[in-house]
Amino acid sequence: MNNYLIHAQSICKSFQQLKVLDNADFTLSKGEFVAITGKSGVGKSTLLGILGGLDPEFQGKLLVNEIDITRTSSAELSKIRREFLGFIFQDFHLLPNLNAFDNVLLPAIFSGTDTQKVRDEASVILSKLNLRNDNTATKLLSRGERQRVATARALVNNPRVLLADEPTASLDEDSEENLFDLLDSLREERGFAIIAVLHSKNILSRADRVIELKRGVLNEKHS
Amino acid sequence: MKNTHKAIKLWNKGHWKDYLFSQGMLLVASLLLVFFISIGLGVGNILQRFLSSDLPEEQVRITPLGVQAGTFQTERGGTELTSAILDSLSALPEVDRIDPQVYAHVPAYLRGLLAGRNYYTDISLEGVTTAFVPDSMLQHIDWNYTLSDSAEKPLPIILSENLLIVYNAGFAESNGLMGLTPEGVIGLEVQVNVGSSSLASLQERPVTVRAEIVGTSRNVALFALAVPIEFVEEINAKYLPDDQHTYSALIVTAHKAEDVPVIVRYAEELGLSAETRRGIAQKAEILVGVVTAALGALAAAILFSAVASAIHTLVADLKNRSYALGVLVALGTKRERLVYIFAFQIFFMSLISTILGGLLGCGLSFLVSSTLLNLLPVLKMAVTTLAVYPIGWLSAGLGLVLIASTVSAWFFFKKILGTPVTELLRR
Repeated sequence: MNNYLIHAQSICKSFQQLKVLDNADFTLSKGEFVAITGKSGVGKSTLLGILGGLDPEFQGKLLVNEIDITRTSSAELSKIRREFLGFIFQDFHLLPNLNAFDNVLLPAIFSGTDTQKVRDEASVILSKLNLRNDNTATKLLSRGERQRVATARALVNNPRVLLADEPTASLDEDSEENLFDLLDSLREERGFAIIAVLHSKNILSRADRVIELKRGVLNEKHS
Repeated sequence: MKNTHKAIKLWNKGHWKDYLFSQGMLLVASLLLVFFISIGLGVGNILQRFLSSDLPEEQVRITPLGVQAGTFQTERGGTELTSAILDSLSALPEVDRIDPQVYAHVPAYLRGLLAGRNYYTDISLEGVTTAFVPDSMLQHIDWNYTLSDSAEKPLPIILSENLLIVYNAGFAESNGLMGLTPEGVIGLEVQVNVGSSSLASLQERPVTVRAEIVGTSRNVALFALAVPIEFVEEINAKYLPDDQHTYSALIVTAHKAEDVPVIVRYAEELGLSAETRRGIAQKAEILVGVVTAALGALAAAILFSAVASAIHTLVADLKNRSYALGVLVALGTKRERLVYIFAFQIFFMSLISTILGGLLGCGLSFLVSSTLLNLLPVLKMAVTTLAVYPIGWLSAGLGLVLIASTVSAWFFFKKILGTPVTELLRR
């Protein structure tokens, strides 16, 4: 028992001849904020997809919540993603015809866990993120607003780990500071850990650890 | 299952138009299927009815090749039915009896009083023997008649059943008169005028005789009356003395039904036409088959287009939204749960569309049937409805439409769910 929320050992991933991850090791402890950096196209999103159990096509060993996800069933993996992890995707992956509230509730509705408690939680998070709880379809929202809806959706199930792929990419400096102020306060309140792909130097300074992905290898920059 | 209704509502939000279009096509497919089956079978029935014959299995109706039916019947053309031919047929060991028919070559009309109103129709006279209709019908009837009997007794006549139906559908209804049944007309007295009609008259003075309807038959030509053969021979001789004595038709009765083919072969070798119950049935079957096949092909083509369109729209909708499915899977929705939700949606909605389409198809065929029967009274003489509803066939057809659409969508859906999430999220 090592108490890591995520523990990856010797992860290898290739796209045909291109080796994206080469024996990468990674750990994430409770409440930790780990930032991943690297040049565009180096494989940061791929790494996040593997750590989040979205991409099962890799070599190596990956424990999430101490469960070896390379050996677990599809149903168990869905449960891990639903209850243990929260995702903020680079392109948000919202359903454009639904409003913010429905997008946030979507995982709960489709999993049959849409209770009043979850609905209250969704309202609270939307309010904290300064989002209107109205019927406006998310396709009509600004990029920044959509970013916040995606963040609210990732947090509504109270995850232990938040995986964020460039969550500040579409925000101005003030907005990214505001977003991470909020995430920091929620992290303090709820104790979840964050793995975020980031570029902004202002935000990187907030991370407990910064790891650079370069030529398939993970290099810790500072802690 | 919990939240299924809400999940389906959210899934379709903004996509109802596409979804309703595919369901609409499915509805149209079901409607057309039911309509064509219903009307197709109805048309088949009406053809069978028109083409059927009362000719017993052991009888052959032999006629010259050139015989025409109707008011202006003539047996001229091709080999004629002479006494010599009758004798040669009688010599066949398979032949039990021969009953000749002679058509009158003179114009004639029928006139009477029905429900206080005069009616009139040109007719032709077919001289037949007692063998023409089942003996039971004529056993108490004196089927002997010549012009010299006209003062003492009425001319016995057998009416075409089809003429009755034309009267019922085309005349009685539009004039508010009561309809006539075959049983109801027996005993009615009318007048038969020989030697003139509304279209022609001969130099010889016409003769009018009292007549009584003694029976009905489907084997009499539409505007013809069957009368004793001696009477027709007499008027042919009276009005057309130079005309060669020939028969119009010979009803040949074989000892057994199995002997019929031998008689048919012999008649055909003589250059004559031979009709049998089986032959008529076969002709009817071929015609009904051709009409049914044509309707079936048309229905299949329309049905295929509609079902293909419905499937294409369903599948295209799923394909366009494979990304959304990827989002749901990425956020931790179990694939089994998605399968349940969408199977429920596809099957349930398709079931409703199919049933609704089926019901509308029934309604449409009923409407078309009623309209056609009102517009074409002649159809009413054969059938009470053109729309037939064989529940088994209709259910099987609708089931096939339902299975074809849902199974296609299901397979495609399963294929999408089998795709890695990262690929689905790539849009």
